[in-house]
Amino acid sequence: MEMFLYGFMQRAFQASLLISLAAPILGLFLILRRQSLMADTLSHVSLAGVALGFLLGVNPTLTTLLVVAIIAVLLEYLRLIYKTYSEVGIAMLMAGGMAVALVLMSLNEGGSTVSIQQYLFGSIVTITSLQVYMIAGLTSLILLLYIFFRKPMYVLTFDEEAAFTSGLPIKWMSILFNLLTGLTIALIMPILGALLVSAILILPAAISLRLSKSFTGVILYGIGISLIGMFSGLVVSYYYGTPPGATIALIFIGIFIFVTVFKQFASKKA
Amino acid sequence: MHYIEVDDLSFHFEDEPVLQNISFTVDPSEFVMLTGENGAAKSTLLRNILGLLKPTKGNVHLATRNEAGEKLIIGYIPQQVASFNAGFPSTVLELVRSGRYPRGKWFKRLDKEDEIHVEKALKSVGMWEMRHKKIGELSGGQKQRISIARVFATDPDLFVLDEPTTGMDRQSREEFYQLLKHNSEVHKKGILMVTHDHDEIKKYADKQIQLVRKEGSPWRCFSMDSCSEHSKHPC
Repeated sequence: MEMFLYGFMQRAFQASLLISLAAPILGLFLILRRQSLMADTLSHVSLAGVALGFLLGVNPTLTTLLVVAIIAVLLEYLRLIYKTYSEVGIAMLMAGGMAVALVLMSLNEGGSTVSIQQYLFGSIVTITSLQVYMIAGLTSLILLLYIFFRKPMYVLTFDEEAAFTSGLPIKWMSILFNLLTGLTIALIMPILGALLVSAILILPAAISLRLSKSFTGVILYGIGISLIGMFSGLVVSYYYGTPPGATIALIFIGIFIFVTVFKQFASKKA
Repeated sequence: MHYIEVDDLSFHFEDEPVLQNISFTVDPSEFVMLTGENGAAKSTLLRNILGLLKPTKGNVHLATRNEAGEKLIIGYIPQQVASFNAGFPSTVLELVRSGRYPRGKWFKRLDKEDEIHVEKALKSVGMWEMRHKKIGELSGGQKQRISIARVFATDPDLFVLDEPTTGMDRQSREEFYQLLKHNSEVHKKGILMVTHDHDEIKKYADKQIQLVRKEGSPWRCFSMDSCSEHSKHPC
């Protein structure tokens, strides 16, 4: 247990705990709103924000937040235009975000390619105390919003038109939800990496969907699975030197396969 | 006072007119049936009324207050609601309880009265025993019944129902109409229901509105005849 003596490992565990509390909530809504790819899109777009920050020489977190906020709103607009094929907008922006990031990086030739690498693959073990505080703030915000707005969100997610007829401001709710997702991704992307951030948001909720029949149950299971996956991922990556983000994602996929096979087996037996 | 007032409404899909010159009203305590052949844009008309689509011409006025002066609450059952998202993680009870949220419970706990409404609604459709089941495990008919229960749990001032009885057997339909009739007569609810069961429902409905295609029109236009006489002479 000597790993807990290192400050960076302590911070990594703190950040994992905080992310585990919030990620399954966002993840479940993303899945049910058929926006699970949105997380991927926003993280690709975040890279463009990071690249822009390096190019302009300002704090990349700021530019990322700004860019992601704009795109999150734009996504809602595209979702309304392509109502039945809501993934079209997502695909377009995913490619667009990556393209802008690559072009901006090439403009910044000889600059900070190393840092871009870090954003691409993330590095939970280089996390700073400031980042832990920011994630603590984010997690508190998400938990508070969930406790306060869980009923309107349940109805919105179940049926948008019924939500509209019962008087909910569905457009604003969707935009704010996208913004919150964007904010989350912008903050946790440097830790988990742009390529894996969506796995951490989506997979725990996807697994727990198979385990519980109630809405609240899915979220609670999701938090549990998220904690197991992230903690064990950190431990494995510490002892074997594997990249933490990828290790965590693989453990989630392992849990998913285990649960699916187990459920199949159980339902055959029954 | 009208709960729904449609005034010379026209609606075009892209450039094609699908609804034209439609005017009618639905009042408190009034049970109105909306009929028309397949493709007569009945659902489109409902969606215009509810504000889910914008009329190309004309106006829809929805009351904002009920007869008692409180905020008007609408209960809408869309067509084929039974095909809803099968993977949605919710128990029957959770879903039907969500029908109470528009009753001022978005940010408050459900109280005793809410629970009574939920129980009554589930019992009225015979689904109380199934309340702990996951909604994805139900059959199509059962999903339809819990959707109805959810709207009954809301206890809305105005029911807007799009073919809610599709697939029900005759006896269930009769019971459902009686329940609606009771709601309109005793509890002064307004009801607008799209339906195909013309004959059975005539004895319950106060008014029939039929969408008909205009003779000799090259366009897919429909005009509207309405008759307010009780049951005997439906258009």
